[in-house]
Amino acid sequence: MMLYTVNKSPFSTNHLESALRIAPTGAPILLYEDGVYAAARGTQVVALVQSALADHPIYALEADLEARGIHMVLEGIQVINYDGFVQLVEKQDVAPWL
Amino acid sequence: MGNQVAILLRKAPYGSVYTAEGFRTIMGIAVFEMDICVVCVDDGVYALVKGQNPAKLDIKPLGDGFPALAEFGVQSFYVHDEALARRGLTADDLVVPVQVASSSQIARILEESGKVLPF
Repeated sequence: MMLYTVNKSPFSTNHLESALRIAPTGAPILLYEDGVYAAARGTQVVALVQSALADHPIYALEADLEARGIHMVLEGIQVINYDGFVQLVEKQDVAPWL
Repeated sequence: MGNQVAILLRKAPYGSVYTAEGFRTIMGIAVFEMDICVVCVDDGVYALVKGQNPAKLDIKPLGDGFPALAEFGVQSFYVHDEALARRGLTADDLVVPVQVASSSQIARILEESGKVLPF
């Protein structure tokens, strides 16, 4: 199972939607850089992310969340630091959805 | 066509260099005491969000700079209502007092400015 990584805003690109369309059930999704905007609460992509959480573990990079002023993420999203990022990439091959 | 310059911010602050360059341009224009307004549409509204802390990215917080622009006479901030709503944000979430504007109001502001610099 590959790790799907998304680094663009879900409001200005279709990268997250596209990755979720392709990623098989159970494949982990990592949100980083502008991808972390998908982890915020109260947005118009909450439904998309919540339905994805039923099928995938979803991670968001702490440094990128803090930079963008996102202090509360959706329930179920796992916030990880750079060490956690490295561990994820070591554990499986990466499908970068750039 | 007016004599105002509209700085049009449409991108999120840290994923690219656009917001930082837009800010530098605002400073550059403001010191010549030209009439200037800042218009945030799409992910550009994220530039003004409170509580940005990019210390771990080793970058200076971009949001902190906008309130200081008042000292240079830059006080007109227009923010697209739909862009805020899509992102679950309100004017209270932003670092400066803004005028929340509809699509047609944004179009009119750009038209009245005459000169639009996009970032």
